[in-house]
Amino acid sequence: MFLGVDIGSSSSKAVLINPLGEIVGQKAIQMGTGTVGAKSVEQALLEETGVKRSDVLFAVVTGYGRMTYPGCDLQITEISCHAAGVCFSLPGTRTIVDIGGQDAKVIRVDQAGRVVNFGMNEKCAAGTGRFLEVMARVLGCRIGELSALAGKSQNTVKISSVCTVFAESEVISQLAAGAKIEDVAKGAHNSVATRVAGMCNRIGVEEAVAMTGGVALNQDMVKSMAAALSVPICVPESPQTIGALGAAHFAREKYGRL
Amino acid sequence: MSQVQDLIGALSGAGKNPKETVLDEMKRTGKKAVGCFPIYVPEEIIHAAGLLPVGLWGGNTEFKEADKYFQSFCCSIMRANVEQGIRGTYDMLSAVVITSYCDTLRAVLVNWPVAVPNMKTIPMILPQNRIEPAAVEFMLEKFEIFRGEMESISGIKATESMLEESFGLYERYRAAMRDFTELAGTHPKTVNAVDRHYVIKAGYFMDKEAYTEKIEQINTCLKGMPDEKAGAKVVLTGLLAEPENFLELLAENGIGVAADDLAQESRQFRTKSRPDGSVFERIAYRYMDLRGCTFFYEEMKARGQMLIDMVKQSGADGILVCMYKFCDPEEFDYPVYKKEVEAAQIPMLYLEIEQQMDSVEQLRTRIQSFKEMIM
Repeated sequence: MFLGVDIGSSSSKAVLINPLGEIVGQKAIQMGTGTVGAKSVEQALLEETGVKRSDVLFAVVTGYGRMTYPGCDLQITEISCHAAGVCFSLPGTRTIVDIGGQDAKVIRVDQAGRVVNFGMNEKCAAGTGRFLEVMARVLGCRIGELSALAGKSQNTVKISSVCTVFAESEVISQLAAGAKIEDVAKGAHNSVATRVAGMCNRIGVEEAVAMTGGVALNQDMVKSMAAALSVPICVPESPQTIGALGAAHFAREKYGRL
Repeated sequence: MSQVQDLIGALSGAGKNPKETVLDEMKRTGKKAVGCFPIYVPEEIIHAAGLLPVGLWGGNTEFKEADKYFQSFCCSIMRANVEQGIRGTYDMLSAVVITSYCDTLRAVLVNWPVAVPNMKTIPMILPQNRIEPAAVEFMLEKFEIFRGEMESISGIKATESMLEESFGLYERYRAAMRDFTELAGTHPKTVNAVDRHYVIKAGYFMDKEAYTEKIEQINTCLKGMPDEKAGAKVVLTGLLAEPENFLELLAENGIGVAADDLAQESRQFRTKSRPDGSVFERIAYRYMDLRGCTFFYEEMKARGQMLIDMVKQSGADGILVCMYKFCDPEEFDYPVYKKEVEAAQIPMLYLEIEQQMDSVEQLRTRIQSFKEMIM
């Protein structure tokens, strides 16, 4: 068996694959780097699949927490791992938009799934999952409810600020002025999409485009992203665990070669 | 340790400790020191007047006083220089020479005398448009005035023969630096990214004669050593490559510096001087002949092609853009050379950096990803 662990800023994910590259199991826990999330997700996945740790031939860790996780044989960046994961899940993808809890990345890959260019957001929460978390809190809903809420929007509110802190006060002003929460939710999605689209344009967008990361679970957010880029966007079956899947494939590839 | 490691260690240490190095050099040579703001100052004239030119390139300083004079979106090198000026870090200097290569420098030229009233301020304004012959005439007159200002600080007359001698020393320094950067590119393990930077930086704090002798010794050692292979090699471009923890990430990822196009490093010494003319004419024509620097106007920007050639000649795997935060001349240049470099299919990574960066985790991911991409 081969294990991939992805320790993000707000969640930890793990994927097990067999020597044929088939997924044996995958799991995500909402605890990120600096917590027991990575160890917990690994243990939970092993228990769920009935695989012993000693049966894992090689393990690769990725994500923000990769430098300090002791349980793996090799660390590889999430940019390379997302590219590898998408290459196996959605072959033919050329551009990956990965929006995680704390950052957003745009990754260009070639026909073989190799990274040819990439971009990341700077030290700012705008255009990331954190921005949506803040918006959900202001709107009094759970992050998982934002998609359905935004889907009901009839008169989208424009959130002009690119800073999460200022956008929060802007949204409070909008709500005080009588804006509907579904319209503000859609405005928040459009704000993230516009911000990330700017980064996509700097890197260059080539179809087919796929979206990964926890934010890709939000269907309305994917719609906003597709509208901002004017291209259709595919989402893999489990977008949150794509980095861990790529890490598992790297583990399979590297086993015996290092 | 081997001789080359000793020499590199000594210069790297000097580059890491500017104030101590300058004070030691002042004591050793008995010279007064004059601070030189970025980007280019005719140091030969300062040297000919018996003074020690000292490069002032900011530092990892916490801002407390300087923000009375700067907005938060201003270049932090300038903020650091003013902060250190107010705090008295530069009190050993007899004067500072402030240039006018960008909007922030022009503003500093006005604000410095108010912020640091006890330090003599000498403006060094050179023409941006160097195509017209009038630009040379302007520079020649400016250098003459500058000579007088330097003489009044030192009390030493900078005669033609002294100017000639200083210019000769600086030509020797520039040739040695060109050799050093080339040899560092072929010996990326002996001269890693961190040491390479500090060895070059030491030249801004030491007397050029002693410094050049040490660089020549390093070059002799490196020439006698076989070439070394790095995991990956890059060309650095931008204003400067700091802070140290950014450069450590290159070393950590086995990335060597094949060559650079940094204003603080190779742009200072890569242009050869013309053989003829007076010393002032030769200094002026070095500025006229300098290509690919964002701080001088160029109708047809040469930087993109220069970077492409640099990658090919040095065998680099890609280019790292060290984009110093809020350096608008560098930021405006980027879209121009990006287009050319991409068309040449050379991998290029854009990194936003500043000297006051305590956390480099995002940079770590970017640099490691870039290495994974190009290897």
